Parts: sequence; structure tokens; C-alpha cells
Amino acid sequence: MAVAAAVTAPGMAAAQQCPAGAVYPEAQWEDRSAETKTGRPEAVAALDAWAFTLTGTDEERLGLRTDGLLVLQDGRVLYERYGRGFGPGNRHLLWSVTKTLTGLMTAVAVKQGALGLDDSICKHRKDVPESSCGVTVRHLLQMSSGFDWAEEYEDGEYQASSVLAMLYGQGRKAVVPFVAGHAITPAPGKRFNYSTGDSHLLMGVVSGALRAAHGDAFPWTLLFDKLGVTSLTWERDVAGDFHGGSFGYLTPRDMARVGTLMLHDGCWKGERLLPEDFMANARTVNVPFKTTPLQDDTAYGWQIWLNQPVPEVGLGIPFPDAPLDTFMAAGHWGQYIVVVPSRNMVIVRTGDDRAKVPNKVNDLIKHSLALGVVP
Amino acid sequence: MKALKLAAASLLLAAGCNGPERYTQNDLQLVTAYTAKDFCSCMFVMGQDEAYCRAWTKANPQVARIEVDVQHKLVRTSALTLWSGAARWKGEREGCVNE
Repeated sequence: MAVAAAVTAPGMAAAQQCPAGAVYPEAQWEDRSAETKTGRPEAVAALDAWAFTLTGTDEERLGLRTDGLLVLQDGRVLYERYGRGFGPGNRHLLWSVTKTLTGLMTAVAVKQGALGLDDSICKHRKDVPESSCGVTVRHLLQMSSGFDWAEEYEDGEYQASSVLAMLYGQGRKAVVPFVAGHAITPAPGKRFNYSTGDSHLLMGVVSGALRAAHGDAFPWTLLFDKLGVTSLTWERDVAGDFHGGSFGYLTPRDMARVGTLMLHDGCWKGERLLPEDFMANARTVNVPFKTTPLQDDTAYGWQIWLNQPVPEVGLGIPFPDAPLDTFMAAGHWGQYIVVVPSRNMVIVRTGDDRAKVPNKVNDLIKHSLALGVVP
Repeated sequence: MKALKLAAASLLLAAGCNGPERYTQNDLQLVTAYTAKDFCSCMFVMGQDEAYCRAWTKANPQVARIEVDVQHKLVRTSALTLWSGAARWKGEREGCVNE
């Protein structure tokens, strides 16, 4: 677990705050996959078999349906394989991995001095009702806005789903006022309720803080261009606000760049892009999560999932085969950016899993770690 | 058959029957909008072909008709003549948007 960094002294070079010895990609990732195949053939075969063995016919939509899988250690590719018509040049829908991108953009806005974690959403958006002004940036990062929100997808009753109404129904023209128009109960900050609406609203607030000075291209100019990410598509609603909880697209190689930024505490090639304490705070189980009856089987920080036990709510270690410092962005149908700092590893997986697969994340990490060395 | 029943149920709901639903759109409105937007993104953002994107966006109830205008990067969907959706690709960074 990272420890909150010390306060920056004025004039101190940013590079001094960044982890020493970190390896970043140039235009291309350094490829060590041939060496891995030679050195660890059994581990590679086990990962191949686990990830790329299809079940039944395509129409049945059963089992694991991996589209891309990339495993990196020390900034180098140990394994890269694609399936089902995808290749290194294809972007993949990220679904809720997009929430983590929104968390990173929130950090960028704070670093820019444009946004405070305890700012009311009403400070940055004029199109939200007054009833929502008690909601702050921090509440949204924690998924604790209090909005009466039903996080249901295609398996439930369509008309009861706040997500479907937001993306494809009455909310799609303007997601920010749609989300903020929900009743608040209980008060903000009290209850953890995983909500794509909170992430959409958060990105709307971040946009409100950055757009005037940086224009609509701010995610690219302030963050993703610096990482060498070239594939980002980030879809918007009819009003022009980013769908901050669901509609980002990246190639797996670019997802690995995002993972590498998080692995190195928000630094990229010596430049600190995120505030010093942001990743440490994002990787700490948030307070409302600890006081809300358990809803998900993984701990949550700030727009990111954590492999940490939470005894307050009776949650054991979510992924027993993964180190406790593992954290991840995770999206519907099996999209992941997994970061394992104690192994200096990043694991990226895209897929189209429509059926539930038991122990999926645990097994993905277990098989991927077996390709690397234990420091 | 299941799709027909669902569609019929949706029509009844749209006609004003009281249900427990919180939002105004019926299933077919949601599905036509979903299919249009995500089909558009599948082809023009993810770079997949039409057959792949039909499988990718298959939902229940299925929309009756999907029309792809590759030249204008536009996808139109319709179901039971009353309901329709459309989405258009706007650019490399912008992807697709429901119209």
C-alpha cells in the first residue's frame, strides 16, 4: 500500500517526488514476449488456455471470450495476445474502466488548481438543481452522492434501470442534470452506492472546471497526450458532456499506459501529472464503503477497486491469489486494468463475457503473475 | 416469440398503464437507441464489421431493422414501426452519439 507522500516544499523539483527507476514506454512498448515464452512455457500455456479457450457457439455467449490480453512487468511486455477479431490496433469499449479515467481527470483538475475535492458540484455546473448542491467532488469520487440510483444493466428490468435511462433513455441528451435531478437519500457522504451516474456527474463537474481554460480537448492535452495514448475515444451526450462512467475506448496497449501511470503514483517520465497524495487516497478504502452494508465483493477507493479486506462490513480478501496492494479498473463484460505494485506489473484484459465466470479476476491475476518474476 | 410478448408489453406500458417503472422510456425505445449507438461505436470506433456488430449489440427484445450507412457513418434502427433510433459517428475522439 502506498503511503501518502510528504507535502511538497515550494520550488522542489517535481521529478524528486516521482518513483526512481520507473520504466516507461516510448512510442512502442518493449516486447519481451518471446523470452517469456521460452523461459516460462508452462505459465504461458496455462494463461493461453485459461483466457482463450472458447465455450459453446458464439451465439450462446458462454464463458470467457477474451478479445485482448497484455501482461507487463517492469515496463516491458511479457505477453500479448488478441482474439475474436481484435488486434493491437482495435480500440475496445471500456464500460466502467472509464470511471477510472474520470478519477484520473479529477486528479488532473485538482493538480491544475481548477477543482477542490470539497467543492460543491454547483460551483462548477449551473445546470444542476439546488437540491443537489450538498454533493461534493469527494462524494462522487467515493460513490456516495446519496442519489436514489438503481445501477442495473441489461439483465434486469430495463425501465427500472437508472443506467439505461441515462445512456439510452431520457437522460441521454444531457446526463449531468439527469443524474443530479434524482432525489438524495440519505445525505451525501453517508452511503456507498456504486453508480455510473456519480461518475458521469463527476466528469461533468471536471469539465465545468477545465473546459473554459482548456476547451473540449482537455482530457487529451492535459493527460492522455502526455502518456503517449493515441487511441482514446471518449463519447459524449447530445449536450456535449463526456460519458464519464461508461463510453471510453482504448487499445489494450494504451490501457497499459494508463495502468503504468497509476503504478508510478501519477508520474510519467519524471513529471508529476497527478497530485502527490491522489493515488494513495484513491487506493484507500473509502469511509462510506466501510459503513454501508456490503453491496459488492470488492473494496472500493476513488473510482477504483481494491484487493483489500474490509472487516467492518465482513469482506475478506477479494482476490486471494493477488497481493493485497493490487488495485484495478474494471468494466462490464470483462474489461480490466489491473495494477500490482509489489510485482511492478500491469495486466490489461478486454473481452465480451456475457455470462458470469466464477473467480474470473482472481484467476486472471493468478495466471498473469505466473509469467513474471517475484522481486 | 418472447421478443413479441415483450414488445407487446412495452406497447401497453407506453400506452399509459401504470407500472413500477421509474423512467419514461419503454423497452423498445431503450433498445432501439442502444442498438443504434452501440452498433455505430462497434463499427466506427472499435473497427469491427457488420456481422460482428450485429452479434455484439444483440439484445432482448431485438430491434427489427438495422440500417448502416457506411459512407455517412450513420446507423438507424427501428422496431414495430413506432420506435426508432439513430446514431452518428462524429470523429476519432468523439465517437458516436445518439441523434
